Amino acid sequence: MIERFSSGFHPFVLPFLAGMVFVLGYCVYGIVRILFQLTGEDRRRFFLSLITPRTALKNIRDIFCDCLLHVKLWKRNRMLGFMHSSIAFGWFMLIVLGHVEVMLFLPERIRLFYYPIFFNFFVAETDSTIQGSLLFFLMDFFLLVVLVGIALAMVKRVRSRLFGLRRTPRPSLLNRVGLYALWAIFPLRLLAESFTAHISGGSFLTIPANWVFRQFLGNDLNMLPTWWAYSIALGVFMFVLPFTRYMHIPAEMMLIPMRNAGLKIRGARKGFARVQVYSCPNCGVCIDACPMSADKANLKDCTVYLTRQMRRGNERRIAEISDKCLLCGKCEAVCQVGVEGPKLRLMNRAERNYAVKADYSGVPVTALSEAARGGKVLYYSGCMSQLVPSIGRSMESVFRKAGVDYFWMDREGGVCCGRPMMTAGRLEEAAGIVRKNTEVILGSGADTMVVSCPICYKMFTEEYSLPGVRVVHYVNHMEELLQEGRLVPTRSDLCYVYHDPCELGRGCGIYEEPRRLLGRLAGIAEAEKNRSESVCCGGSLGSLTLTFAKREKITKASLENLYASNADAIATACPLCTATFARYADRPVRDLAEIVDRQTEGKLKPAEI
Amino acid sequence: MMDFGFKLSKSATLDLDRADTGRYERLCALEPDARICMNCGSCSATCTAAPFSGMSLRKVILGLQRGQDVRPMLQGCMLCGKCSMVCPRGINTRHLILTLCRIYD
Amino acid sequence: MKENVVVIGGGVAGMEAARQLLLLGYNPILVEQQDHLGGHVAQWNRLFPDMAPAGDLVRRLWDGITDANIFLETRVTSVNRLKDDYLVMLSNGVSISCRAILIASGFKLFDAARKEEYGYGVYDHVVTNADLESWFNGNESDRIPSAPRSVGFVHCVGSRDLKAGNSQCSKVCCITAVKQAIEMKERFPEARVYCFYMDLRLFGKKYEDFYIRAQQEFGIQFIRGRVSEVGETLDGRLQVKAEDTLSGKPLKVQLDLLVLMAGMSCNPDVAELARMARLDIDSDGFLRSLDNTAGIDVSNRPGIFYAGACTGAKTVPETLGEARSAALDIHRYLQGR
Repeated sequence: MIERFSSGFHPFVLPFLAGMVFVLGYCVYGIVRILFQLTGEDRRRFFLSLITPRTALKNIRDIFCDCLLHVKLWKRNRMLGFMHSSIAFGWFMLIVLGHVEVMLFLPERIRLFYYPIFFNFFVAETDSTIQGSLLFFLMDFFLLVVLVGIALAMVKRVRSRLFGLRRTPRPSLLNRVGLYALWAIFPLRLLAESFTAHISGGSFLTIPANWVFRQFLGNDLNMLPTWWAYSIALGVFMFVLPFTRYMHIPAEMMLIPMRNAGLKIRGARKGFARVQVYSCPNCGVCIDACPMSADKANLKDCTVYLTRQMRRGNERRIAEISDKCLLCGKCEAVCQVGVEGPKLRLMNRAERNYAVKADYSGVPVTALSEAARGGKVLYYSGCMSQLVPSIGRSMESVFRKAGVDYFWMDREGGVCCGRPMMTAGRLEEAAGIVRKNTEVILGSGADTMVVSCPICYKMFTEEYSLPGVRVVHYVNHMEELLQEGRLVPTRSDLCYVYHDPCELGRGCGIYEEPRRLLGRLAGIAEAEKNRSESVCCGGSLGSLTLTFAKREKITKASLENLYASNADAIATACPLCTATFARYADRPVRDLAEIVDRQTEGKLKPAEI
Repeated sequence: MMDFGFKLSKSATLDLDRADTGRYERLCALEPDARICMNCGSCSATCTAAPFSGMSLRKVILGLQRGQDVRPMLQGCMLCGKCSMVCPRGINTRHLILTLCRIYD
Repeated sequence: MKENVVVIGGGVAGMEAARQLLLLGYNPILVEQQDHLGGHVAQWNRLFPDMAPAGDLVRRLWDGITDANIFLETRVTSVNRLKDDYLVMLSNGVSISCRAILIASGFKLFDAARKEEYGYGVYDHVVTNADLESWFNGNESDRIPSAPRSVGFVHCVGSRDLKAGNSQCSKVCCITAVKQAIEMKERFPEARVYCFYMDLRLFGKKYEDFYIRAQQEFGIQFIRGRVSEVGETLDGRLQVKAEDTLSGKPLKVQLDLLVLMAGMSCNPDVAELARMARLDIDSDGFLRSLDNTAGIDVSNRPGIFYAGACTGAKTVPETLGEARSAALDIHRYLQGR
């Protein structure tokens, strides 16, 4: 290999160079700004994680698997996975191999960072070495890989349904510019390298193309415009990148180490939240996943639109999208990048000021804890359970049958767990409620608290500190009673489909215990979408603005998902899901407590109870 | 008007001609559903906070219509959402309360 | 040969209309899904405001239609328009050609279990107005306590309730609650009886007198507040929560029996009928009348008429009056006037 230009420079590289400098400058500025926005502790933690071997290794592995190979996407959708990994990994390999070529043949030029990109323009082949031909083959091979990916991307743009996507977001103007520039880059590269292949050498793709071109375009002057075009396409792409969804490429590389460092979103617009917003690739997987999409009116209220509006700073829409969401967490569960849509919304809600502050000084803590004194096991049913009396009643019956020394602390109403207040973004008020409840519970002297509402359960396990009190979910408690033989099961002929409540499944990660319990008592079937992909019932308190009437379509769509199992009845473990489903369901809806009560007998004879 | 040297105690009479209903109108502009409350009392009956604070959403809405200060009641609300579950008119009571807490200045 | 008129629904509306059509010289063909005529009224014990036995009314109507064709346990399977006629096919294989059809398909009693917070089907001593009438009719039930100390009636269960899918008032529940409260007080003079209402809508003739009697003679307590939830005390009594909206305080009271005044919702079978005959359905699910003032018994299709609760909640006298006017409208229609 010899250089064709002694200067190692040609003006056509300028568009690329300018774009590259711009994008790098932008990213460095962004990273510094974000690092400054982190709290001191978060910043320390982040830097520490970068030099901790375990997390550093994990960072590299995650970036390789998620950003380049798109492993998660492969698992979810093979077509999309192939498309994304062929573009990302192929491009990555082209860059790496370009550098290898330069280092191998012209190591002194490695400092010019446009050189590996435009290597074929600057060199002329002298004698075909075995190294050269293998590298040329690999270069052509990965170019082909990328081109296949680009071709798939074009098909996807026209026929997204072929890729299993029902709805995709509409790209904005700049996104279109970025998209077309990206599409143009690789065909232009093929063209440019083909034009120069008889000088620089090539392989199975570029050599035949070169031969074809030379049949009717014998003049070497033709090569320059194509290299210019290639460089301009790259330049345009880099210039628009910070303002398009392609910003997710650099942002995700920031997101992964921050997540691995254990950072949490602390504000809606700063630090880690900002990284998440920029990491959204606008793929639109969350549109189809969002339970609100059952109603066309809500199509533009899922996470992909939240991140878009947060980038644009459209406050009216940010508030609208943040307040409408059910906070069911499904978008987060399906998100390939790990954008925490619900948390972003929650923090947006938390930025508001309320002129009327809460005052819970009227809660008679001492009287409430005095009343609860004596029982070893406290039962907390939660506010919503009072509207579904079958739950509390069944729990009492189960406790009595199993001989549990219990006290139902909110039988006649108690203090709310605080989760609804928290989902409204009023974190201080929620903390006030938590303090009151903590005092009541600790003052009661109980060592166990059984909670039957998943909303409360999530709150108690995540936001409360109750030393000496074991907080147990009622499913676990009832399973324990069965295992200890204090309850004797009898199987029902009915087949139930189990609906995973959002707060219990995605919220607390409890998927298998309810199924195990139900499986001992009755037949069990699975809904079309279940476990982490379960469809919210539509009754969630997470949504602030969805009115009763606007939730109907969501509930009915969720029921259709359950009906697909052909089960005789619906089982769930949340009073809100039960009440919401019961309004429209065409078959019985039962809480697990009710099923356990129906299908078990106590070891003690009735007279002894 | 002739002064007879006495008048009805101010607090004992609701004078609708003089009541300041500006805040109620502002609430209705943001939450039109505030107008459809039929005072059935479901929300107050089911209210988690009521026993501790005298919170009654029905009285809050009625009080605003009569130009009264309802802040002390609002302060007790825990936003548990039971009222929105039981309201027969389907009013989004939680959002109504949040809006009211914001516009009270 | 007398001209056929198909009457769909054998409740009091259908029976009275058939009786009138017979008198006008037609051949009414009464089609009833169930194995008896009289519909909901046949299940009732006594009727307000005169406390007349419901059975007497049904029997009187029966006597008037002995000459009519009556198909019990039969459904309409199709309705087709052929030029000026309708061809009505029945589930028993009979097909009838007629120029006029009267729909008197009535209402469906709201399923009280759908108001989960009231615990119907969960608590033994929560019953409905229909359960109570059945008990008045002499059917034994261990869900009615033998010596209740206190009894509550909840008005508007599934009526005026968007969440239950019925925004309309069922009209009869207020007066039925007053009637049943009096009847309970007559049986259990020692019991305290409460009626929980949102608005007392006692609009009919003699209804107000009934209300006054309930207060004056029977000491029934009327509490203005909608019951929001029903719990159970440690000793197994029902505990009802409402707001006493007149004193502005949350209220709770322990009861031995709670009666839910289930309202009238649209008959779900009517949707299929409406599809077959291309009839308009109103936003409340009931059949839509041509107009709600002077054409309540007239449908959007020629020759099809309505009577009774298929177009909305009605009292018995209203239903009977409508049946008569529908019969007259059919007569005029068939006479081409």
